[in-house]
Amino acid sequence: MFELFHYPFMIRALVAGGIVAILLGWLGCFIVTRNMSFVGDGIAHASLAGIALALLVGWATLPTAIVFAIIIAIGIYVLQHKTPISSDMAIAILFTTGLAIGVMLLHLSSGYQPELMSYLFGNILTVSTQDVLIIVCASVIILLLLRFTYHKLLFTTFDPDGAYLAGVTPWKYDIMLYIVTAIAVVLSIKIVGIVLVSALLVTPSAISKLFATSFASFTFFSVILSFVTVFVGLLLSYYLNVPSGATIILTGTSMFIVSSIFVGIRKKLV
Amino acid sequence: MKKDYIVVNNLTHTYGDFVALNNISFGITKGDIVAIIGPNGSGKTTLLRYIVGLNSVKAGVVSIGGKSPKDMRKHIGYVPQHFTFDRTIPVTVQEFLALESCAKVSHGGKHINKALTAVGMQKLAEQKLGTLSGGQFQRVMIARALLHEKDVLIFDEPSTGIDVGGEQTIYDLIKQINKKHGTTCIIVSHDLNIVLSYVHSVICLNQSIVCQGSPKKVITPKKLKTLFGGATCVHHS
Repeated sequence: MFELFHYPFMIRALVAGGIVAILLGWLGCFIVTRNMSFVGDGIAHASLAGIALALLVGWATLPTAIVFAIIIAIGIYVLQHKTPISSDMAIAILFTTGLAIGVMLLHLSSGYQPELMSYLFGNILTVSTQDVLIIVCASVIILLLLRFTYHKLLFTTFDPDGAYLAGVTPWKYDIMLYIVTAIAVVLSIKIVGIVLVSALLVTPSAISKLFATSFASFTFFSVILSFVTVFVGLLLSYYLNVPSGATIILTGTSMFIVSSIFVGIRKKLV
Repeated sequence: MKKDYIVVNNLTHTYGDFVALNNISFGITKGDIVAIIGPNGSGKTTLLRYIVGLNSVKAGVVSIGGKSPKDMRKHIGYVPQHFTFDRTIPVTVQEFLALESCAKVSHGGKHINKALTAVGMQKLAEQKLGTLSGGQFQRVMIARALLHEKDVLIFDEPSTGIDVGGEQTIYDLIKQINKKHGTTCIIVSHDLNIVLSYVHSVICLNQSIVCQGSPKKVITPKKLKTLFGGATCVHHS
């Protein structure tokens, strides 16, 4: 049972996956409350351009992808708030633009890019010690930021006009949420992949919402469920020898289906 | 003569070609309860959003105590006409009210209980906001406006969805706060009969100011017909 802990790649995956899960679980509550689920998806797909650029030029992939994802996130925010363009249109435009730039840059790279599949669908074997350090440091900073801005972030999320009248400047917290979402999404790409990462942002919060009796419990359960999803998913992928990203997401989906059935039955019985 | 505390001067607002507020000017004395009445689409909510500071003034002047609404916004309590939110998000009444307290970096447990008791909602503190009825939710919004002592309280149709008994309680509460703290209150309402027994003055609005003054002077069948375009029955007590 415990032989997997003898493999350094597994330890790295569990540490990186665990902290990213906590981060995404917490962020997911705000994302779901703001109906921003597809922002995470859009940012993740568009970040392919940053990854492709890093692969082409030989830069470090995570920092390059983070910078590119932040630019995309701010771009989505500006389009949503400063133009008559709707949220889904803004995401669709920048999401496809980022993907297109990524494809063009990969086309310029010579030869086959085996790493590309790892970024698209996640591969725990590619998580290096340097990646773990970046993921842990960035995640701790974001978690502290969330801790200290929690109430104002919730206030601006739930009632932006009320927050403004109470002296809070909502746009600052909006931008902050977009930027930390961009960073968190990129941090989790090596674990779950560009294509699948948004599910980890949304599914634990969706399950938590079924049981929560307050926003505090909503956040707490979301973080726990996200951690359990990643941990169980990684263990299953190891023992079943199947791709980690897909296993994590399917674990989350299974938990969501079971929870929904349980809640449905409980409602009928009460 | 008392100096006006809230001053609106030559305020104009347009939505494309439609002029929602046309060169509006009026003043409100500190400590007064003022009703703004007018038909649907007359610009009442737009006007309130300017006074609160949620709309930036582009044409005209709005000031509260000589300052801009933006600078005074922490001193204004506002109960909007509509508050849209995802009812499936599990935020409790207490958590919702605590948001206001935390933004002021003061822990407001006592204040929250007091405000909820004032609107008869103390038993529902732990209930999820999304499970409340329209009237109950309106009471919570009023409780939030009462949470801290504000200089100005603005209510956009405060009794929407509230039963008759509750409506009386809400207006009694507004009157009581006004008397106790000298809070300036602005109320938008369609219920002329109940409003008129509580307010010091009335502003009749229909894109521009149709008439203004004390309730008895302003609210006459002729003026109401001009304002609303139909027969309106009001009982002066």
